[in-house]
Parts: sequence; structure tokens; C-alpha cells
Amino acid sequence: MDNPNDIENIKKYLSEKLETVSSVDDISKIRNEFLGKKGFIGKMLSDMRNISSDQRKDYGAKLNLLKIEVENMIDEYSGKFENDKDSIYTELYKSLPGRKPEIGHINIITQAISEITKVFAPLGFNRVRYPEIDREYYVFEALNMPETHPARDEWETFFVDSPNDEKLGRLVITPHTSSGQVREMLKGELPIRMLNISRCGRRQIDVSHVPSFYQFEGLVIDENISTTHLIGVLDYFAKNFFGADRETRLRPYHFRFTEPSFEVDINCGICHGKGCKLCKGGWLELGGAGMVHPNVLKAGGVDTEKYSGFAFGWGVERTYMMKSGTKIDDIRNLFSNDLRFLEQF
Amino acid sequence: MNISIPYSWIKDYIKTDAKAEDIARILSLHSFSVDKIIKAGGDEIFEIEVTPNRGDALSVLGIARELKVLLPRQGFKCEWLKKEYEEPKNLDVQDNIEVVIKDKTLVPRFSAVIMDNVKFVESPKLIRERLENVGIRPLGNVIDVTNYMMIDKGQPMHVFDYEKILGSKMIVRESTEGEVISTLDGIDRKLPSGVIVIEDEDGRLIDLCGIMGAKNSEVDENTKKILLFVQVYDPVKIRKASMSLGHRTDAALRFEKGIDYEGVIPALWESVEMISKLSGAKLSSGLIDIVNYERDPKEIHIDFQKINKLAGIEIENQKVSSILSDLGFEKVGDGNVMVPSWRYEDINIIEDLAEEVIRIYGYYNLPAKLPSGEIPVREIDKTFYWEKVVRYFLKYVGFFECYTYSATDKENVDENALNLSNPLNEDMTHLKTSLLPQLLDVVNKNQGYSEKIKIFEIGSVYLLSGLNSEDKIPDQPLRLGIVTKGIDYNELKGILKGMFDTLGIKYGLEESLGIKYEIKEYGGERLGVEFNFDDLVQKATKVRAYKPLTSFNSIKEDLTFEIPQGVLYPQIEKIILETDKRIFKLEFKDIYKNYLTFSIEYLDDEKQISSEDTQEIRKKIFKNLEKLGVKLKI
Repeated sequence: MDNPNDIENIKKYLSEKLETVSSVDDISKIRNEFLGKKGFIGKMLSDMRNISSDQRKDYGAKLNLLKIEVENMIDEYSGKFENDKDSIYTELYKSLPGRKPEIGHINIITQAISEITKVFAPLGFNRVRYPEIDREYYVFEALNMPETHPARDEWETFFVDSPNDEKLGRLVITPHTSSGQVREMLKGELPIRMLNISRCGRRQIDVSHVPSFYQFEGLVIDENISTTHLIGVLDYFAKNFFGADRETRLRPYHFRFTEPSFEVDINCGICHGKGCKLCKGGWLELGGAGMVHPNVLKAGGVDTEKYSGFAFGWGVERTYMMKSGTKIDDIRNLFSNDLRFLEQF
Repeated sequence: MNISIPYSWIKDYIKTDAKAEDIARILSLHSFSVDKIIKAGGDEIFEIEVTPNRGDALSVLGIARELKVLLPRQGFKCEWLKKEYEEPKNLDVQDNIEVVIKDKTLVPRFSAVIMDNVKFVESPKLIRERLENVGIRPLGNVIDVTNYMMIDKGQPMHVFDYEKILGSKMIVRESTEGEVISTLDGIDRKLPSGVIVIEDEDGRLIDLCGIMGAKNSEVDENTKKILLFVQVYDPVKIRKASMSLGHRTDAALRFEKGIDYEGVIPALWESVEMISKLSGAKLSSGLIDIVNYERDPKEIHIDFQKINKLAGIEIENQKVSSILSDLGFEKVGDGNVMVPSWRYEDINIIEDLAEEVIRIYGYYNLPAKLPSGEIPVREIDKTFYWEKVVRYFLKYVGFFECYTYSATDKENVDENALNLSNPLNEDMTHLKTSLLPQLLDVVNKNQGYSEKIKIFEIGSVYLLSGLNSEDKIPDQPLRLGIVTKGIDYNELKGILKGMFDTLGIKYGLEESLGIKYEIKEYGGERLGVEFNFDDLVQKATKVRAYKPLTSFNSIKEDLTFEIPQGVLYPQIEKIILETDKRIFKLEFKDIYKNYLTFSIEYLDDEKQISSEDTQEIRKKIFKNLEKLGVKLKI
């Protein structure tokens, strides 16, 4: 076989041979016949010395290709052959549940954060993150809560054992995301549509409180922002997050950093406002909101003559749980990291 | 602060056809949330959550005042049954008390009267029932009157047995640290400094002002003369004292929210009338009324436009004016209104007035509108995107995402840690400096879950460094922490390579390209590795360099080498890759003892590579590796 034309013949011959195969043994015989040391291709390689040196290089490359092709043809056929084998176990094998790849779990908190972010994104809210350990100035003073104000007690604040700064006060774990409001304003870019989702901390632990938790804070500042816009945005959120049939309402409330201040309710998803065991007369409390207090705008260097704004800041975990109906009876589970809990999400 | 107000009591002030349910609904939507209505003995008791700014509403009077504004606007009848008080005339002045106030700021207003011929007996049924319905134990007529008036008017009061005030002298002063007072509840309270107290001529402490009276001057069956005491104290002082003593009485909670300055005298005369009626007592002194502080009248200009701008709709001027006037804001000319005495502390700016107007008008009457202004363009923080990429990558290679607390115990942190001055418990005293210790705790806690455990967390750590920065706050870098149990060192390394590939982070031969990291071994098949997330973000990219595909085929082969001690993989890798540019791919395939198998793929971009070519390259590889003493395994 010193004629290079034989390369084509070998392939033809091989496919004919493969047609006749009836057992795994046949396949290995064919493999040996073609690819073994003394097989066709082996012989052709050793016959190469008979070729003139100027042709030899090209011929060698062709042979190499042939070898690969032959290997592939045999492999492919043997695969087919084995699969098609009518085994007495086939039925049993196919009845097995399958081998699931090892897949982990994204925490329910992350899932909540990403869903919330997604709802606000089309309205132009830009997600940011502000320090989780901050100075009292940003947490209280800038938010219209002077040093002696009792409103400071409402947040069970953790204090860091660190020297007091004359201007900025003590170091604390931020008890709410509102500390990001003035930091955002101080960037000096207006208008603002901010979504600050950050970790907070409060000094309490029981079935409905954990010392670490997440809040999401919306802040909109622009010319002519009014309460109707706050209602519009929160309604949009409620309908897109909880369902198109849900409605919100505002009730009067009081926060130092907003004026007017509101408590936002959503109609109950179970009874749709009629009143049932799970809600308060058909409504459930979502959280606080309000029109940004002029003192807060001033602390942020915003011209209160020209601009106004609204803000809201709610618990991520709580809001998500109200949606999913995941009635986690003990919120401490969220930070307990029991894998039997995590695998359920 | 939650208060209980019986409906029957409200009816002392207003006559209305509204049912209790109507009242609850209307109050909730316009004023304060009514948590529930409790039915007790034929009465309906509202549980009302009064917002902290509304000290004026912690009383029957305060709630009735709100209803007077609201009910007619909701189509209900509401008639104000105005209670008049009469200032007694022709006083028979026999008794007096000497008052010394050390610091006038402690007591902006000090008022008292003395009454003689007291008969200390049980109060009538109506009073006892009402007190019980709001959670106060009846103790006898004159004491009951003070409690009754606190609920009725929001003005806390106190009665002393006049004869137990030695020397008929009261010295109002601040406490010095360590002084002890025995309060009415029989507890000896050691005082910090700065608490407002009263001592008599003998230097005995007879009152823990604004919080609770003292045992040594209490009214009992033998009491003949009483001193009725109605005050306004410095709210901050009361709050501090009550907080530091851990004694939060109904009186303190009201004092610290501020008392209606002009409600003091009416409340006092009404109490005098009630005490006379219930105990037969008679006034035996004139009115002692020391005003230490005159408040300036507070006026605010009604900016109708501003109110409408905040509301987002047009509320007619006339409607605005009528709401304000019904709430007690009197017009005083120049388009100004005067803030009523009971709202003095709370109302300061036009926004405060706007809130009053809009809440009475009804928030539910405002339409929902989306802001129409331009959408701000900001540089997007890429971190959020890459966090998502990492989370999903790790999820799909079998990792569970954890969230651990920000604070942990001392054992879990390094010397860069900050500690809390008021930790919740001993397990959470320090702020975390690494994610790994708590993740290891998670692994240990979940031992029984599975032989293989793979977990991660993305979260901040808090470092002492940074406190001297301009911001004076700790450095708070975002970290990625990964901890595994029961998987091989090399498997974890492979996972990390997969993560780098997904992030588009190159990790070639040049150290500077990749991310430096250290896999720590903790024993018990536990491994951990931590990244500064910012490092990953800096090097991550969505951009993929495209290499044109060639029409030539590659040739692949596996080579196994015997590696002498001291030679490491990167050295071998480098030598092989630098041997010839036709080495297209070089991958670690397997290792057994020191026999290391590579998969090598040869490809020539310009022409079809031949076995001679690969043989030639292979020879060069062997030659180059000889320098390291690495030989082909035969």
C-alpha cells in the first residue's frame, strides 16, 4: 500500500466492516486491524520511507489525519453499538431517578434583595450601599435627631467601643439605612433616585428580631416631589412585588426625619381587605415613609426652596416574608445557617 | 406610647352618633393607630398608639380634641361638651409653703395649693371603674383624683400629706450622686446626679420629681391636709432620670414629652373641685404659681402653595384655613396662625402645618402618581453585578450561601477588631474581621448534614484601620469567604479556577494577572479561603478576547512525568508553555504519587501540524525539563 490514494479506500473499507459488527469483540478486532501496531495505518507509516523526501512531509500529515478520523469512526460506532444493545436491565435503568448534579442554594435574604432591586430598577432607582458602621452624626443628627432627643432611644443602637469624635459623635452599628440619605445627598448630584440596601444592627434578639438584618431605603429628591409621588412609587412597588391586586394606604405617623410622616399599609393578601385572623381589619403594616424633612435636606446641602423629596426604609426579610407566605416562625433561622433550613430555598 | 381610653370617658367631652368602630377607623386614618377595641363592663376601650410627638394626645381631652375636628368631616354629629372650671374666690388663706428653686430651668412652672379637712376614703364607683379600665389601681379618693386627671387632661399630678413636709418648706434641686430616696412603691432608689428632687427643711428627700412621690410624705388614713402639686419639669432631665433609674412611670412618660403649659392651672382647679366633692376638703391656701419661664407665642405663616406642593394636589385655601382653625390654630393676621399651647413643642415649620392639613384632609384622598422627572444617570457600581455572578457560580457548583452576624466572640477576631460597648451577649462582643471563623462555626454545627459541606458568604468585615481616615469610620471591605469540608485541596483550587474563568479573571504565568489567595487548612478536612471582593471586581471583566478559529486540526496527547522532590507545578508548566508557541493548551490531568500527567494540545495556526512536528516539540520539552530533573515516565 504505497499509493497515497489508498487513504480513501481505507475509510471506505472501514465503514463496510463496521456495518457487519455484531458484538463488542468485533469492534476490538476491527480496532486492532486498523490501528494496531501491525494494522493498516501502522504499516502505511512504516512504508513512508519508500516515499521521496519532498512528498514525505505532506503524506505524513495526511496519514495523521487519517488516523484521527479512523479512531473517531470506530469510537462513534462502538458508542452507538453499546447504547443500542438490548439489555435485560434497560427498563430498570431508565426507571431510576437520574443523578442530580450537586447544586447549592442562594440564601433567601439574597433572593429577597434581588427581587426588591428588580422592582425598583425600571423606575430609575440606582442601587447603592453605605457604611454599616457609621458615626452618630449620619445616623441621628443629620436626620434631625439632636443629641438629647428621645427618638434616639427607639433604635436599640449598638455602640462601638471607640473614642467619641467631637463633630461626628460616637461610632455605631447603623440601626437603619436612613443614615445613607445624607451621605447620598452630599455626593452633590441631583436629582436622586436611590435604593440603599444595607446591613443594619439593633440590640435585640427574639423570635421576630435579630441583631443583624437588612433594610432597603428609597430616596427620591427632585423638583416638585410630593406625597402623591410617594404614593405612586409605593403602589407601583406593592403591585409589582406582591401582586397586581394589592393596594396600599398611608396612615399618619411620626418620624423625626420626615414631615409629613406615614405608616404604609398593604391590603391583606388572604382576605383582600375584608378583615381576617392574619391582618388588622384587612390591612397589614409594611413600614414607614415620609416627605424628607427640610432639616435633613439642609444637612445634605440640598436647596429646600427648589427641591423636595420622599423616603422610605423597610426591613428586607420582613417584606419578603409578607410576600412569599414563607411563614418563618422564628426569624433567627435566617442567621442560624442550619443547612437543613438553607436547602429549602 | 400606647394608651387606653374608654369611649364612655370620651363622651364627657363630645356628644356624637359615631360608633366605636367608626371612631377607631377614623382615628387610625387621620391621627393615631387604634390597635384594638376592648369591651369591658359595657364600655368600649380604645387602645391607641399615640406617636411620640403628640404628648398632647396622651389624654381623653387630647383624643376628644382630634375627634372634634374629624367626626363632622366624616358625616357624624359631634357636639363639644365644654367643661368650664371656676377659679375659687374669697380664699381663706391659713396655710402656705415656702418654695426654694435652686435652678429655674428645672421647673418652668411650679403650681400648688393646700387643702384641709381631707377625708381619705374610697372613690365612687364610676371613678374606680374608669381607672381600672385604663390599668390604674384605685388607691383612695385624693390619690385617685391625681391619676384620674392625668388620664383626663394629660397632666400628671401628685399629692403630699402636707404635715409630712417638715418645716413647710420645699427645696427643689438636682440630686448628688449616691443619694437615696424611698419611693411610694417601697423601693429604696440610689440616685445618680442630676435628678430633680425635693427636700424638706429637715433635708429629707420627699419627691422624685416627675417620676414618683416618696414614701415619707405619702397620703394615708390619718392625713388631714394635703398639698396638691401640678408642675412642668424640664423634659430632658425627667427622661434621663427615669431612664437611668429604669423606672418609666406614666407620669414620667408624659412629662418627658412636654406638658401643655397653659393646661396646668385649669387642671389644678378642676382637681381642687373634684377633691372637694369626693373628700369634703377645703382650700386652705392661695394659689402658689411660680412661673420661671415665659414662652413666646409661636406664629407660623400659612404658605398655601407650599402645603399644596407637599400634598401634590390643590386643597382649597378655605379648606386649609378651616382645618387649621378647628385644630386650634388661631388666625393672628398677616396670614399667620398661632400655635395652640398644647402643640407648642411639636409644630415649628410650615411642613408641620402641612402635615396637619393633609392628614385631616385624608391621605387616602391623594391620587397615586409616578414621579415624572428625568431619570438620574449614575455610574453603576459593578460590585452588585459581580456579586451575582459569583453567587450563581458557587450555587451551581454546590455551595450554600450563609449570612452570619456582624458581631462575634473574641476568639474569632484578630488584633484589627473593634469591640462593642454594649454587646447583646458574650458571644457577640467583637465586630468580625474575617468571614472565615464564623463560617467554620457553621460547618462545625452542621457536621451531621453531609460528608461534604460547601458554604460561602459575601459580606463586610469591620477593621480598626480607617478610624483615622477623613471619615473617621472603620474600613469595611466586602469579602467573599469560602469554607469547605470533605473536599480535596485540589478540588477547591479547581473550583476557584472555575470561578476566575467565570469572572474573566486571567491567571496565567504572570503573577500580577491573577488573584493572590491562600487556602487555609483547618484539619478535619476543613478548608477556607477569603477574598477581598474588590480585588475580584477590579480584575473581573465581561470582555472576552476572541481568537480566530483555524481550519487546521490539533493533535492531543497525554504525557506523564516523574517529578523529583522540590519541583513544583508552576515551574514545570512555565517551562513547557515556553518551549514552543505551538503548544496550544496545557492542562493538568492527573497525579499519582509524583507521577504527573498533562494533557497537551498542539496546534499550528499556519499549517496542519504533523506528528513529526509534535515529536520535535516533545523532544524540546524533555530537554528543557531535564534542567529540573523532570523525566518522562517510562
